[in-house]
Amino acid sequence: MFINKSSLVLRVLPLAAIVLAACGAQPPQATQLPPQQVTVEVTAPPQQIEVTRVVEVEKPAAPAVPGNQVLRWALEGINEPSTLDPAKAGDAPVVFATGLIFRGLIQLDAQLHVVPDGAESWTVSSDTKVYTFKIRKDLKFSDGSPVTAEDAAFSITRSLDPKIGGGNGGYYLSNILGAEDFSAGKSDKLDGVKALDAQTLEITLKNPSAYFLYQLNFITGYILSKKNVTEGGEKWYEKPVGTGPFVLGEWQHNQKLVLTPNANYWAGAPNQLKQVDLIFYGGDQGSTTACNDYQTGAVDVVGSFGQNPIPSQFVPQVKDLPDYHSAPQFVVRYLGFNNKIAPFNDVKVRQAFALAIDKSKLIKLLGESSVRAQDRILPGGIPASELKVDGLSFDAVKAKTLLAEAKFDPATKVTISYGTEGDNAKVLEFLQQEWKQNLGVEVTLEPLELQTFSQKLTDTYNKPEEGLQAYYSVWGADYPDPQNWISQQLRTDVGNNNGHYSNAEFDKLVDAADVEVKDPAARLKAYNQAEQIAVTEVGWLPLFSPNANALVKSYVTGLVFTGQGIIVPDWTAVRGVAQ
Amino acid sequence: MRRLKKNPVAFAALIVLAAMCVFAVLGPWLHRVDPALQDVDNLRAFPSALHPLGTDDRGRDTLARLMIGLRVSLLVAVAVEAFNVVVGAGLGLAAGYFGGAVDFVVSRLADMLFAFPGILLAILISAVFGSSIGTLGDGAGRLLLVSGSLALVGWPLMARYVRGQTLALRERPWIDGSRALGASDVAILLRHILPNLGNLVIVSATLDVAGVVVSEATLGLLGLSAQPPQTSLGKMIVEAFGYITLNWTQVFWPSLALSVLVLAVSFLGDGLREKV
Amino acid sequence: MARFVARRLFSLIFVLFSITFLTFLVGYLAPGDPIQAMMGSRRDPKIYARLQHEYGLDRPFTEQYAAYISGVLQGDLGKSYRFAGRPVWDLIKTGAPVSAELGLTALGISLLVGVPVGMLAAIRADGLFDRLSTVGMLLIYSVPGFVIAGVLQIMQVIAYQNKLPSLPTSGWGRPEHWVLPVLVLAAATTGYLATLTRSSMLEVLGQDYVRTARAKGASQARVMFHHALRNALIPIVTVLGPSVAFVVVGSFAVENVFRVPGIGFVAVQAIGTRDYPVIQSVTLILAAAVVVMNLITDMAYTVLDPRIRTR
Repeated sequence: MFINKSSLVLRVLPLAAIVLAACGAQPPQATQLPPQQVTVEVTAPPQQIEVTRVVEVEKPAAPAVPGNQVLRWALEGINEPSTLDPAKAGDAPVVFATGLIFRGLIQLDAQLHVVPDGAESWTVSSDTKVYTFKIRKDLKFSDGSPVTAEDAAFSITRSLDPKIGGGNGGYYLSNILGAEDFSAGKSDKLDGVKALDAQTLEITLKNPSAYFLYQLNFITGYILSKKNVTEGGEKWYEKPVGTGPFVLGEWQHNQKLVLTPNANYWAGAPNQLKQVDLIFYGGDQGSTTACNDYQTGAVDVVGSFGQNPIPSQFVPQVKDLPDYHSAPQFVVRYLGFNNKIAPFNDVKVRQAFALAIDKSKLIKLLGESSVRAQDRILPGGIPASELKVDGLSFDAVKAKTLLAEAKFDPATKVTISYGTEGDNAKVLEFLQQEWKQNLGVEVTLEPLELQTFSQKLTDTYNKPEEGLQAYYSVWGADYPDPQNWISQQLRTDVGNNNGHYSNAEFDKLVDAADVEVKDPAARLKAYNQAEQIAVTEVGWLPLFSPNANALVKSYVTGLVFTGQGIIVPDWTAVRGVAQ
Repeated sequence: MRRLKKNPVAFAALIVLAAMCVFAVLGPWLHRVDPALQDVDNLRAFPSALHPLGTDDRGRDTLARLMIGLRVSLLVAVAVEAFNVVVGAGLGLAAGYFGGAVDFVVSRLADMLFAFPGILLAILISAVFGSSIGTLGDGAGRLLLVSGSLALVGWPLMARYVRGQTLALRERPWIDGSRALGASDVAILLRHILPNLGNLVIVSATLDVAGVVVSEATLGLLGLSAQPPQTSLGKMIVEAFGYITLNWTQVFWPSLALSVLVLAVSFLGDGLREKV
Repeated sequence: MARFVARRLFSLIFVLFSITFLTFLVGYLAPGDPIQAMMGSRRDPKIYARLQHEYGLDRPFTEQYAAYISGVLQGDLGKSYRFAGRPVWDLIKTGAPVSAELGLTALGISLLVGVPVGMLAAIRADGLFDRLSTVGMLLIYSVPGFVIAGVLQIMQVIAYQNKLPSLPTSGWGRPEHWVLPVLVLAAATTGYLATLTRSSMLEVLGQDYVRTARAKGASQARVMFHHALRNALIPIVTVLGPSVAFVVVGSFAVENVFRVPGIGFVAVQAIGTRDYPVIQSVTLILAAAVVVMNLITDMAYTVLDPRIRTR
């Protein structure tokens, strides 16, 4: 998915009534004890030291005084949510907003561990194909009605239903038994999802998978109230009922969503808050306007979601403020090559172009505090990124030699295409100059309006012989698993492999790794070997990984900043600005 | 020329315009710095001996870029306004003078072009012709595309101005007089109506220049206009605007050039007006 | 006159029909499609084909167009692709008054400032006021709107940081939200109108009949207002026609920079995501407004100069 960090908006462990010292201390609310205790291991966000604590799961008490705090959160990239229906939402800001209203069976914590949410526990069959979830007892929707396994089954089935028309279900949930036929309209029921009783949900997979729970974690796995959806009409999502920390208070079209606390939220309602305003900033100027609004005190949180971090020009002004947070994220910008036509069907030409780029200069140009050079496919933090890969680092002499060996005719017209947004022109114009200096090749740049670019990529995939020669692209993790980066990008003919890179050995390695569940170490090793092949043959030419960054006012408490988004371990600890 | 000499302001404007053209055309021979060279150790620099006008956010020399940028902007502005004056004013004149079916066709066509989503049209033109015409002659093709697109959406306003004025002029007594004396339509148009329109056409075309320079930059984003290493005044302003709080001078120089251009063209146009 | 108006209103149908066809055609030919926009850069031919079928986009061009037109004839502008299930009218109806109020305010200010400034300048051509106002008006006109907008926003940031009173840099709903967008919208138009008025007045003041009136001893005021201004207004009225029409669909740039929820705000996103039903409808509304305003302009000509015949 196009850097839709949506999936990556790793929602947190609301179990943990933890307050990390770094985010301004706020004592946990006095609450009563639940039936059982759960032990959870909690690790601090990347830049902090690890701590392990025993956390008590607590239920919220009604607040003595209703909250008077307002948290105003700028979401960039769109002017207006297209929907709040988790089966249909796709834009990162909307995915974030839906995640505050709805929740699924499970969730990820700040360390990307799968932890309980709507399900209090689950078991996996010995063949790793059958998952049995126990829905949390006493789990209630925001309207007070009980949540049943029937609701969960209904929701997951609905995400795959071709009559509903969402695009994401078929992508994230395709490994469920019968999902392909059902979503293609060839079958009218989804075999793999069954409510065994009011509390028990069984999901059967087609193939064993090490990453199914990550896929289930996406919004297409959220639990909706069957009653709410079936009785609410076409626009039921304007009065949504979910199991998340908030309910929709008011939808001011083309401005903001006003969320108010869900008193029935199982992990503790955000009861210091009166409301959270999710304010939308669309268009090219959106991020700049959001930063201006932040600087005039109109919003409390800016940045880190979707494709619009703090504009790079703003970073030098704000990077020394205590409000500024920055961390590596699972996003890589790269050049893709068309492997079916000259000149980039020749591996030596691709290698020459890769070796001729001095990334240290690129990093200087884009700002050392904003990006990190990337010589491989996997960004740091994704499993298997800890295994070594030898990248192609800058070597102008070798580059020229390779180009000469490839018998590359300097008169060949080389065109690189890109979509016009953000810093893209800056990056491409830099590369153009590097190739001219270090290879003596004059590259033509073809900037294209975003949708035109997207269309040309599709055309390149469908008819590579008539397609683009090379293109500047980006990938953001859908879920933190190497399969999403290696197999889904460069295996022969997969949907994201626009340039038709193909290597039989690579395919063999990833095909085995994708279904390996018994031996995680062997699985990662196979991905690592595949990655090395793709890096050496320049299936991708990785350039850099941009940091996630955000501005959070110092009076805001309870938010934890990570490269994967802002995480809220405990909503009861969140304070905004008094109103 | 004689008229200009009597009007010192217009004369000064002419000299400024000439100087700008010289700056754009001959400048690169005097200030021999590669406008595409990125000096990553000198990003967003303020003016210095090395870079007289400073550098942009890629460390490129702003003076060198201003010269090549001015060239592109001047070319596009002249091309668009020439089309505007010839086609827009011509059609407006015909519509206003002859009325009837001619007026209907011209006016309704203008109405449609007014309402048409220009961005969508630009996207289409860029996609259809971008890789054929756009790659012609070292960037000249793209300039042709951008000028064509701007001219296409620009002429209706000129046509309506001229039509409105012609409607009024047509009914003046002296025109009726000429007609009664047997003057042909062409003669009336050329001798009585056209001279009275010059002023409006000049003002409208002049005012349009600023819009054209900025729109060119917008269309450049859609891939229609001059592409790197070329640049234009509008593109320089758009790019530099992003980091205005870090270095305001980089927005200032191209904006200054644009304002001086518009002022000079206006004063020159003013001077050309018939002062009886 | 009645026949004239009737005929022009009839031509409205012709224009609207043609413009929907052209927009539809351009949309059909232009690269990028709403289905891919919904899917991001992910590529999955099965999902694509299914969505394409659901939105009826796998049908031939003529069928799609016919379906659209029959909807419009029944007063149904269609449903947005992007805003699943939401009627286009729903998206536009709240934006139209916002755009119109904001735009008309800005246009009103421009007229009240620009026309008198242009007139005053013309009275004493080449005088001090003329020189200063001409340069000033051309300057505010020639600086691009987004630069003025950005500078105004930065000024608010600086004021806020120095604990001085400041205006909101974006948003809508309170009176203070109006100030910056109105200023930016009015700046360029004021400069344009002032320059146009000045030039037009100078032209008219040089005409024989005005000189005749002066020679007959008519007062300066009478010459200016009775004889000169009426004729000088023709270009102003000409440009006002389409300007008022454009105001209804709002300024794309200004509405986006200041997050004003007008039609322009909706339209920009629609073009970016190829939400054709929305683009179509905005175009349709704009075309209707242009035709009606140009009709009113033509009628205004006859008021300004009764010799002009409407035919």
